[in-house]
Amino acid sequence: MIGLYQHPPTILHRVSAGYKLIALAVLSIVCMRIGNVAILAACLGALLAVYAGFGKPFVRRLAILRPLWPTMLAIFVAQIIVADWQSATASILRLLVMVLLADLVTMSTRMQAMMDALAPLLRPLRMFGVSSERISFCVAYVIRLVPLLLEQWQLYADAWRARTGNRPGWRLIAPFFANILRMAGRHAEALDARGFGASRQ
Amino acid sequence: MAQDGTFITFSNVDLSRGNEKLFSNLDIEIRERRVGIIGNNGSGKSSFLRLVNGLLLPDAGSVNVCGLDTCKDRNALPALAGFLFQNPDHQIVFPTVAEEIAFVLRERRVGAREAREAAVQLLAAHGHADWADRPVHQLSDGQKQLVCILAVTIGSPRVLLLDEPFSSLDLPTRHDLLMRLDMMPQLLVMASHDLDLLAGFDRVIWFEKGAIRGDGAPAKVIRDYRASFATMLEPLRIAAQ
Repeated sequence: MIGLYQHPPTILHRVSAGYKLIALAVLSIVCMRIGNVAILAACLGALLAVYAGFGKPFVRRLAILRPLWPTMLAIFVAQIIVADWQSATASILRLLVMVLLADLVTMSTRMQAMMDALAPLLRPLRMFGVSSERISFCVAYVIRLVPLLLEQWQLYADAWRARTGNRPGWRLIAPFFANILRMAGRHAEALDARGFGASRQ
Repeated sequence: MAQDGTFITFSNVDLSRGNEKLFSNLDIEIRERRVGIIGNNGSGKSSFLRLVNGLLLPDAGSVNVCGLDTCKDRNALPALAGFLFQNPDHQIVFPTVAEEIAFVLRERRVGAREAREAAVQLLAAHGHADWADRPVHQLSDGQKQLVCILAVTIGSPRVLLLDEPFSSLDLPTRHDLLMRLDMMPQLLVMASHDLDLLAGFDRVIWFEKGAIRGDGAPAKVIRDYRASFATMLEPLRIAAQ
């Protein structure tokens, strides 16, 4: 799941990425240790209050939880079978708390800041010839491309609907991918034009 | 005239695209500050620009930009000749504005904080300091194109190559961006179908099927270009009556 950077900025946007990541790690570990349903529910309530306090665009972000419900349901059922309903509820609450905590970090941290904070951890990869800068570049690029690809799909879907009057079907997939490949070529050319990687050759 | 030592020279350039020969023995020297490139689709406008920046290399002959040979000094070229594409979405790499503008500096090993500061300053100079942390996908097309212009010019290239950069923008935005470009010191080479916009340039070159069909003062070249397709359309016009 990739959450997106959120504008306008909140207090959290001012905290440095490193501290936020450490806090996230610590809080997540603490969260794993809590088995009490009431405490977990209180944590979730507090988090929801934080989201609400930041304003409407942040409350709307809670929609990121929607694709998670099948997984949650599966975990809940499995927990009831192997344990009891209390630990099942605790697991779900814990998951929600951890996802929302993590999203607070993603939405308030610029990609570059996040990657700079992670760079020391990625550095050992250099032994295998992988540059940590390249990894951070790729992650930022993917995040940039997500809204762009959604927009491209929408353009195709609109064109389809305009010409057929029907909802677009699987037949759009091939032209969509062909278009993405063409777009990838253009992006490569634009990077080339800006001298990407020249300083490392 | 462009700044001292800023020039583009094509000597005996041959270039094939696919199986077709596009340019043969092309000779051009550019020293004017603003040069427009016109011509029908497929006439060689884009290929011409790509040869200048080393995105395409000549099959024969040579292209020289401010003393650098595009074949030999290809890695040094992007710093010298910035390229602006038609669709900003095809060149923006980063999710937020300041990261995008700072990209070229970071590629040149400038520290993260320093690069960001330079980017924010440049945005402020253009009256958009508040864009720094805006997600790029929330900007309009014109705003995105301005971000692209800043992302290229922050690297202080001496030449700016523009491949139909304004074709999806409204008229006020075109003029706004062109005025901003005009205030920059770079030599501009712009391929465009917006003949009115090019009328104010110092020189216009008209390509047809890879050959120079017109070259010189914008007013005359643009008039000849218009006349050429007027003749071509004459039979249709008669048929329509």
